[in-house]
Amino acid sequence: MEDDGVRRMSSRTRKVASKMVAALASTDNRTQAAIARLDALENDNAGFEVADANNDDDEASLDDEEGYMQKKQSKSTKRKTRQAKALEARKAPRTFLELIHEANLESLPPHVPSYLRAAVGPPSSTSRRHFCTVCGFSASYTCVRCGMRFCSYRCQNVHNDTRCLKFVA
Amino acid sequence: MSSTNVVVLDNGGGLIKAGFGVEHDPAVILPNCLYRSPSSKKWLHPHPLHTTTTSTDSTAAELDFTSAAVRRPLDRGYLINSDLQREIWSHLFSSILRINPTQSSLLVTEPLFTLPSIQRSLDELVFEDFNFRALYVADSPSLVHLYEASRRPDGLVSRAQCSLVVDCGFSFTHASPVFQNFTLNYGVKRIDLGGKALTNYLKELVSFRSVNVMEETFLIDDVKEKLCFVSLDVPRDLRLARESGKENLFRCTYVLPDGITYTKGFVKHPERIHNYLALKDGTCGFPPLPEETKGNMNRPEIAEMPQDRNRIDLSKNEFDLTNERFLVPEMIFQPANLGMNEAGLAECIVRAVNSCHPHLHPVLYESIILTGGSTLFPQFSERLEKELRPLVPDDYHVKITTQEDPILGVWRGGSLLASSPDFEAMCVTKSEYEELGSVRCRKRFFH
Repeated sequence: MEDDGVRRMSSRTRKVASKMVAALASTDNRTQAAIARLDALENDNAGFEVADANNDDDEASLDDEEGYMQKKQSKSTKRKTRQAKALEARKAPRTFLELIHEANLESLPPHVPSYLRAAVGPPSSTSRRHFCTVCGFSASYTCVRCGMRFCSYRCQNVHNDTRCLKFVA
Repeated sequence: MSSTNVVVLDNGGGLIKAGFGVEHDPAVILPNCLYRSPSSKKWLHPHPLHTTTTSTDSTAAELDFTSAAVRRPLDRGYLINSDLQREIWSHLFSSILRINPTQSSLLVTEPLFTLPSIQRSLDELVFEDFNFRALYVADSPSLVHLYEASRRPDGLVSRAQCSLVVDCGFSFTHASPVFQNFTLNYGVKRIDLGGKALTNYLKELVSFRSVNVMEETFLIDDVKEKLCFVSLDVPRDLRLARESGKENLFRCTYVLPDGITYTKGFVKHPERIHNYLALKDGTCGFPPLPEETKGNMNRPEIAEMPQDRNRIDLSKNEFDLTNERFLVPEMIFQPANLGMNEAGLAECIVRAVNSCHPHLHPVLYESIILTGGSTLFPQFSERLEKELRPLVPDDYHVKITTQEDPILGVWRGGSLLASSPDFEAMCVTKSEYEELGSVRCRKRFFH
């Protein structure tokens, strides 16, 4: 194998999305990254940069002149005041998760059915199939750095070259 | 305009199904979104898909959905952006249905467990913005049950007045027991996976493996509808999907539109789409494996995929799908494979049944009704039966009924309800709403 000798690597530092550096620090954060990846499946519009829906809606309001001007201004002032942020938050439609949080469903007595209690819950068996994130076949290996799966040396290389440690689902 | 003037509106996360009570089919099916192409600044209303044609091939006909951005008023199935919904509805009511809301009643569907704040915003929308005369809010499982019960008056569903509705739609999947036309809300179980997540998942896979299609939601929707299917034996199909070239039963090529010769994407060899059907195993009563596939199974399992993928000429603007075709719908059955900590559909059904009274269990297992657009994947019900059978006690029958048009099932139930003589009495009128307010009016709908 080529791995026998010292592995030659570029001395250039690897570019990592700032969010991911923090997210990858512990295994717990790794699961957080996985959750974020799952959340992305519910996004209407693609784009890894549109992580939260609020940004999305800001962009969405740009179609009228007013919104466009506001955006320009906000760029020039650089930092928003707390008040302005609060105002904007009130104006923008809230995401479903915010509404859930607001409804305070946890406080309901346990016999009342609610959105949270209707969730199906974890599977009875913990076994799961792992698929190679590169080619899609069953994967036996885990990337030590980011926890994604790959099935062969070739796929590992593709993985390392493309999306290891990147915030791409 | 119909004489009864009841507008039935199945307000789905993906498609609005709207029409008049009493009629058999909705007058209009409309994507519940606004879209904007990258070159323009305006958000546009998509054209309605007509019910006479199948929903898949009339979508992109005259519209340019290329790289379109989408705004949807519903998130995870629930109405979060009522401003946007108002815009879409007013377009629907004034330009497409051409009704006068002040003289019509509205029957609208709402997902189960809608938060009170969302219910209030829906009421405000209906009564204060559109000034409907009366409103009835229905939940979709009971409408599906109503429709199925009326279709087969002698069937078990109508005799026992009880069924288990599995609604696998755009935003999520519900297994809901229905008894005496009421959804037993303590028995409802939900998987947070629906057609939207599947499309996005397929989009990711294709974008990483061959062509970047992250912006092309509508295109990938089409790919999903045309090419994806549910595998009956995943390990076997995965093995077969490793074959290279033409021998691979699953390989299908989808040609992307180039805007000049083709304005729509299409499958390159449509006759290859159904090749996998030859694989149906003996348990389903289909012929055994054809000779060639048996021979191929002995091959050493060397992954040749990456090479194959490199061979695809990117300039030709097409991509191949192999294992993605069945691994994408697979997620509904095994969400754990995606990393979700949720049980699959079969287990979801078992849990929904188990939370009901034991006397209902045998009847519920025997009257499972599949509805929702995501159940249109080929072999969906076969696979579900295969997974469900081992989980159900031996002396119970498992019977899964599919609807002839799963997308419209809810709407047809609504139309039926709107034509019943008691309908007017069940509604909340505008004056009642003004007097009592949203919360107390909602008590009338029992959910």
